[in-house]
Amino acid sequence: MTDQSTIAPDRPSDVAAPSKRRIGSLELLVGGMLVLLAGQYWLGDWLDTPGLQAWATVFVAICVQALPFLVLGTLLSAAITALVPTAFLERALPKRAALAVPVAGLTGAVLPGCECASVPVADGLISRGVAPAAALAFLLSAPAINPVVLTATAVAFPGRPEMVLARFAASLATAVVVGWLWARFGRPEWLRPSVRRAQPTGAGRWTAFRAAFAHEFLHASGFLVVGGITAATLNVVVPRQFLSGLAQLPGVSVLVLALLAVVLAVCSEADAFVAASLSAFPLAARLAFMVVGPMVDVKLVAMQTGTFGWSFAWRFSATTFTVAVAASALAGWWLL
Amino acid sequence: MKREVQAILLVLLGAAILRISLFSDTYLRYVREALGPYLIAAGLVLVALGALSAVAALRGSHDEDQDDHQGHEGHGHGEGHSHGPRIAWLLILPVATIFLVSPPALGSYTAQHAASAVAKPDTAARGFPALPAGDPLAMPLAEFDVRALWDTARPLAGRRVKLLGFATPKSGGGWYVTRLVISCCAADAMTYKAEIRGAAAPPAGSWVEVTGVWQPDGQSTQPDAVPALTAAQVVPVPQPRDPYE
Repeated sequence: MTDQSTIAPDRPSDVAAPSKRRIGSLELLVGGMLVLLAGQYWLGDWLDTPGLQAWATVFVAICVQALPFLVLGTLLSAAITALVPTAFLERALPKRAALAVPVAGLTGAVLPGCECASVPVADGLISRGVAPAAALAFLLSAPAINPVVLTATAVAFPGRPEMVLARFAASLATAVVVGWLWARFGRPEWLRPSVRRAQPTGAGRWTAFRAAFAHEFLHASGFLVVGGITAATLNVVVPRQFLSGLAQLPGVSVLVLALLAVVLAVCSEADAFVAASLSAFPLAARLAFMVVGPMVDVKLVAMQTGTFGWSFAWRFSATTFTVAVAASALAGWWLL
Repeated sequence: MKREVQAILLVLLGAAILRISLFSDTYLRYVREALGPYLIAAGLVLVALGALSAVAALRGSHDEDQDDHQGHEGHGHGEGHSHGPRIAWLLILPVATIFLVSPPALGSYTAQHAASAVAKPDTAARGFPALPAGDPLAMPLAEFDVRALWDTARPLAGRRVKLLGFATPKSGGGWYVTRLVISCCAADAMTYKAEIRGAAAPPAGSWVEVTGVWQPDGQSTQPDAVPALTAAQVVPVPQPRDPYE
């Protein structure tokens, strides 16, 4: 606590001199919470409308189910940033991007989480000097081909092991192809430079870890909220009957379910069950739902925009969507 | 955004998660039960790291103090670590929704607006196992629907079954007993329902236990068919701990 006295003279300039700047964030937070508390009854009345209630439930559900994975992913990312030496990752991955991409894609199989975890981890990898193409292949494959997701797929499609194989193959192929495309055509300026600084040593590590966690988590979860709002709105507003009406149109069913995956933003650990229930659609279309879902959806685009910037996110998501639909159609035709 | 605010947001979010997972079963309205331990762990991590950040912010270590002076006007990206991104203000939304509104589990509104398509299970071709003994046989609504529509052995014929669900009005009169099934969170809820005949409709959304006999009317093996049950008894019950099947 000896620090306190030495720091104290500095602090009042921050706290006790509000005339110098706008209202601080702390005051804003406290004021905002008081307003919310006061408005609670009004808020409750307003939310009595069943449609709004359903929206609020879905919104909270999407945020709540993603949070444990986001915490896990951010912890891993912060640990990579603060603890893993750059030299280690450089040695672990092949030098040439053409080789590093498939290796990183396969490594995705070991991170048991859903897509929310992989965005911060990929960011952490890039900041530690991993080639963006390899980190992006990891970002795409991790939520799609890990054991938890593949097991869920096997359970959701009993007696159809080829579905698991097709999902694994199409997802890995998509991740690797997109990684290669990035290595060949990607421009560094699309990818927003990471705000991380050099890795501290010694006692500074824990502080760096904590600060990296707080910053990244708040950043990513803020964008998760944006994704949650979008997904909940689409979830409540888009009528499912309309979609099942499109199931019978030949040729477009793959595209319809791929788009549904983007819109619904179902967690990759559960999407196999949703896909299994869409029985009006052919298997190839349901495969597309499971391949696209963990890689491109409204929640993920929001989170990628937050982490890597919009000019990256839209190019990356559009490319991935195209490749994923093609890979699912191909795998569906070949394996199913 | 100052470090203190970042710390408060982390603690608030963690507390909101703990409130619905550790201190109550409210999380079951939003996600599947298996996620409970992970929610508790995530909540504890957030509260702990938020508290540590608060302590660090109050003590103001040298390094962080410098940052405080650099970037109060930080715009979006150039912010250093100690400046929470502005987007994080949005975290107030889920926190306030959880603490102040505490939205109920999805219910009859969702059921009314959802397509009720009972998927033909991929195992249907190989036949179903025999139904367990019991009279009346208590069974999940989803299982009742699948058996009624897709089990060609018609094991439900003449069996008294007991179904638990909430009441949803049928457009044009009548009502359904309804249950929502989630695989991960409420965003992927699927609706299962059975039309109840021979009993007056309870208020929409109220939970009931219906005992009755399946009434086949030749419309099965169509994915959008809804099986019917002739009810002998409709008992109001409290909402189960886990509202989803």
